[in-house]
Amino acid sequence: MDSLMYLLNGFTVAFAPMNIMWVTIGGVLGTIIGMLPGLGPATGVAVLLPLTFTMGPEAALITMGGVYYGAMYGGSRASILINTPGDGAAVAATFDGYPMTLKGKAEAALAISAIASFIGGIFATLVMVAVAMPVARFALKFGPAEYFLLFLFALSATASMSKGDRIKGFISMVLGLMVATIGIDAQSGVKRFTFGILELQSGIDFLVIIIAIYALGEVFKSFQNIAEGKKKVQKEFGRIWISKEEWKRCVWPILRSSPLGFFIGALPGAGGTMAALMSYNNEKSLSRHPEEFGEGAIEGVAAPEAANNAASVGAMIPMLTLGIPGSGTTAVMMGALLMLGLQPGPMLFQQQSTVIWGLIASMFIGNIILAFVNIPMAGLLVRVLAVPPKILYPIVLGLAFVGTYAISYSVMDFYLLIIFGVVGYFLSKAKIPATPMILAIIVGNNMEQSFRRAYKISDGSLSIFWSSPLAIALIIITVLSVILPIIGDMRKKRAAGKGQTA
Amino acid sequence: MNISILSGILALLIGLIYTAMTFLLPDAPIGRPMEPKIFPMTLGFLMIILSSVMLFQEMRKTKKDERPAGTFTIDTNLKNIGLTCLFSILYAILFDKLGYVISTLLFLEGELFLFNGAGKWKINTVVSVVFSLIIYILFSKLLGVYLPMTPGIWI
Repeated sequence: MDSLMYLLNGFTVAFAPMNIMWVTIGGVLGTIIGMLPGLGPATGVAVLLPLTFTMGPEAALITMGGVYYGAMYGGSRASILINTPGDGAAVAATFDGYPMTLKGKAEAALAISAIASFIGGIFATLVMVAVAMPVARFALKFGPAEYFLLFLFALSATASMSKGDRIKGFISMVLGLMVATIGIDAQSGVKRFTFGILELQSGIDFLVIIIAIYALGEVFKSFQNIAEGKKKVQKEFGRIWISKEEWKRCVWPILRSSPLGFFIGALPGAGGTMAALMSYNNEKSLSRHPEEFGEGAIEGVAAPEAANNAASVGAMIPMLTLGIPGSGTTAVMMGALLMLGLQPGPMLFQQQSTVIWGLIASMFIGNIILAFVNIPMAGLLVRVLAVPPKILYPIVLGLAFVGTYAISYSVMDFYLLIIFGVVGYFLSKAKIPATPMILAIIVGNNMEQSFRRAYKISDGSLSIFWSSPLAIALIIITVLSVILPIIGDMRKKRAAGKGQTA
Repeated sequence: MNISILSGILALLIGLIYTAMTFLLPDAPIGRPMEPKIFPMTLGFLMIILSSVMLFQEMRKTKKDERPAGTFTIDTNLKNIGLTCLFSILYAILFDKLGYVISTLLFLEGELFLFNGAGKWKINTVVSVVFSLIIYILFSKLLGVYLPMTPGIWI
């Protein structure tokens, strides 16, 4: 019950007029960034983070929260209207959203995606209120050895679930951990991999890398598409709302997809993209008229939208309570917390309860505001889509540089920004997923420190890593998270082989 | 050359160099001398193993279907990225000297030239001037984030 008390307390923070203003500004800016093709919530948070550097922790987190789910709302606008998703989680919205636009039903598609996002978001926030404290309390039982194994599990699950090549996911993860070892070692004072460069002694700032990969890397990728010409955007809309029949068709898909999305989002490595795709396929197989899916079925927009917004909230739970981000975007959010001097983890709920519950309470308010911004004002906002990307991308570059400068007031970081921007581009060219690397860079230091602490406690014996039941359980799920997908692949291959011979 | 094989070789090289460097790390002055090296060493070995596996897989794949999947060529895309990097380096050099507004204006003008083309120089200039001024005023005056001033001018 004390969760409710904390939540009420949180509402007094979130209802402060300034904070309502910040969540609105953050939400609108996030919606705009989310609408840009190729740019999703991770880029939105990364690029807009410097806006919050001089705010207090509550206001800063509330603003960034607004940007985060604003970008989730915005991502689907571009999917529906011009068939270019802002990020992976919005891909599923193109399947039926764009066909709806082609049939002249853009208004209903825009409305239902905002409504579904709203319900998904609110549902997930309610569950979060219920489970956050128990999870955090449970996590207090973790010693350094368990923490190390937990980090290991989160990273290997992310790498093993990454799209395409599994081995490339693991290479990306190790690369990130390597980057995290650069700088002075916190426990012994030994300089590692600094190449005699003074600026590298304090390590590479992960925020610079995040901005590099998510802003510069994405802009580099966009050079290709820019020549392809621009799709025409519908600018005149009727009333953006849905009919009673449409609502009846969507209500169950939304209610089914919200818990599914939340659960998948809370798992490390899965995230919004998988949640959206799974709920889409789920609804297609449950539907009485599956042939309509892909041709403009309204529940084909509603289900993935509810799922991905619920997932985006679900992903916050392991990040806030355990200090383990489960996706690129929550990694960036965790970067924002660390920047403010807040270390996510079980202690956060004890030491900074006002800040955290203020953030959770603002999620309710933010979702309401965003539903308002995205339904009656959608017609106005989507005009951004009419501004050519040719002009918007240079502006994103400009924001990336000013953001990098604001982190440490040093031009040195510009060079790192350029280097990692190019690295990000080549990673995507080589089809190596960037997310495991980003996660590894953020948790790498903590992971090594917990390993070392455990190692010290046990006086140099590795047996501490399998000496408690919790540790053994973590080892088992880590191994399973790596082996199960491999077995699944082998089965698929065998089935395909049989299909060929038959 | 196939880009997957190229990246596999690169990853292997990184793994080898990194592992070699961990052996050269100084011992810890306090506690167990090996301690700061254990974690990096594990990472180095992991990288060598993973990249070898990846290389092996890719070699087998390319043998199977003769045509290479994605070949590595220098196209206009790469040229634009190179120019963007060049502009960014110039931006970094000029940032403190010229101040935020002027250096950003030049940088954006360059980027818009790449993206939007020289023909639309009027729009490009308006966007560059407006962006650099708005960001400067927003950050420096309203948010209290220090940005280098342009010498001789009030901003």
